[in-house]
Amino acid sequence: MTKIFTNIKKYLIDLGKLDRRFIFILIGLSVLIPLIKPNWINIPIKTTNNSQIVFNELNRLNEGDRVLVSFEYGASTKPEIHPMSVAVLQHLFSKGVKVYTVPLWPEGLMMAKYAIQEVVDSKLFNIKEHVDYVSLPYKAGGEIIIRGIATDLRSIFTQDVNNILLNEIPMMEGVNRVSDFDFVFDLSAGVPGNAEWVQFACDEYNVPLSSGCTSIMVTDAIPYVESGQIRGILAGMPGAAEYEQMVFNHLNSLEKNKYMNSNIAVVPGKATSRMSAQSIAHVLMVVFIILGNISYYLLRRRTE
Amino acid sequence: MYELIGVWCIVLLTLSIFSYLYGDNPFYKAAEHIFVGVSAGYIFTITFWDTIWPNLFGRLFPDYVGAGFSFDLTYIFPLILGVFMLFRLSKKYDWLSRISIAYIVGMMAGLKFYVFLNSNLLTQIKSSTVNLSGTYFSIFNDIIILIGVICGLVYFFFSKEHTGTLGKISRIGVYFLMIKFGASFGFAVMGRISLLIGRFEELIEFSKPEYYYSTPLTLFIMIKLIGYWAYKDNTKPLQK
Repeated sequence: MTKIFTNIKKYLIDLGKLDRRFIFILIGLSVLIPLIKPNWINIPIKTTNNSQIVFNELNRLNEGDRVLVSFEYGASTKPEIHPMSVAVLQHLFSKGVKVYTVPLWPEGLMMAKYAIQEVVDSKLFNIKEHVDYVSLPYKAGGEIIIRGIATDLRSIFTQDVNNILLNEIPMMEGVNRVSDFDFVFDLSAGVPGNAEWVQFACDEYNVPLSSGCTSIMVTDAIPYVESGQIRGILAGMPGAAEYEQMVFNHLNSLEKNKYMNSNIAVVPGKATSRMSAQSIAHVLMVVFIILGNISYYLLRRRTE
Repeated sequence: MYELIGVWCIVLLTLSIFSYLYGDNPFYKAAEHIFVGVSAGYIFTITFWDTIWPNLFGRLFPDYVGAGFSFDLTYIFPLILGVFMLFRLSKKYDWLSRISIAYIVGMMAGLKFYVFLNSNLLTQIKSSTVNLSGTYFSIFNDIIILIGVICGLVYFFFSKEHTGTLGKISRIGVYFLMIKFGASFGFAVMGRISLLIGRFEELIEFSKPEYYYSTPLTLFIMIKLIGYWAYKDNTKPLQK
């Protein structure tokens, strides 16, 4: 019996010396297999309170309300944020809300374009540029641009992304500062991000703000969510998947909607299909962490 | 055709970055340098044409630029400060750049001071208080947050030695901080896995016949080449 325990101990200690490339391969397979064979593993998605708050806040908006959607992510964080961008835009367009996109990251310009294009290409909504949405161009400056939008938007932006003067766009009439918007939705992967929107614009001018952000930003943003400075938060890919599900159910539940083409089927978003891979990889990571800690503990005891 | 070239570039660069997991190699080095170069070029171009050209030159030469701004001579100051920044490249006149940096630091400090005080200090203190009109669960939650805030702050109080009661409170603060770091680590792992999923999804997509089996073919060629380099250079193994 003692020999068996000694052998287990030896194996566990040896496990700590495992070549890191084996771990990479196992993590890779744990992600790859559920993506190739999505039917093998089907883990249900449960809506969290913060995602529900975001949905409820946007669902409360009325036809013609103005929402500023800020894009602060790039290609590197696209898998996490982009599905929520598309879902949020779908939700807003289904309610006849006027959408104003603004990129605060250089790559945000492309991300905003792709997100809008994806919604337009789906042909699910009867939307037109300058009638239902306006895309503002990228301006360097981060927090300073947020401050500029808060106080005097026209001092920074005079044209849209297609170099059309804002004065010639009917949708821009009466839009001069952040308080002219009914809601701000921030899609962020770093700085400037949701914290800067809270600090430089929405707190001071009392404009409701919600955010969708990368997983790594969530713990820093939660104090703002708890205090109500950010109304709900979509946390990384799980947040995106939850929101996609809610929007999917919402769009399917609408019987007659003048903003939607009833002959086009609503399809679930991309984040939902990725959640099985995410969950399996997490389980594997937890196993590695437990085994690594046991191995480290045993090794330390042996050396002591 | 252009789409296909783009797809092959995506696959090659993605697999080149992944190849670092095996060890440092020329594929990884090339992809890394391309990434830095392209990013710098893209950011420079977009910043110039979307910000400096319309917002600065558009005010100094409104008729020529035609960005919709009217003439404003005060914008000569940002132009001068911007030019001063470029003097960092000169050993003789680099002191001029300090004027621009001083302006940026001073302006940001003033701006940040107010917004931080308002949004992070006052509002967060307010939200840390216990709301006795809430449910039992929310009151319990509020108490936990209040204890965490006080103990966490005590941990960063260095004017008195952390012994006795102060030491115990500070210890509780450490536990709260550890929980926060643990949660951050968990979220960081989740984020990284999400990015891996995004890359894998594209690689799977580009394995299809319409993309001429881009992923498997590129992977095969890369493995062969990395193996060949490792074999030819066996006196100097790949750096792990």
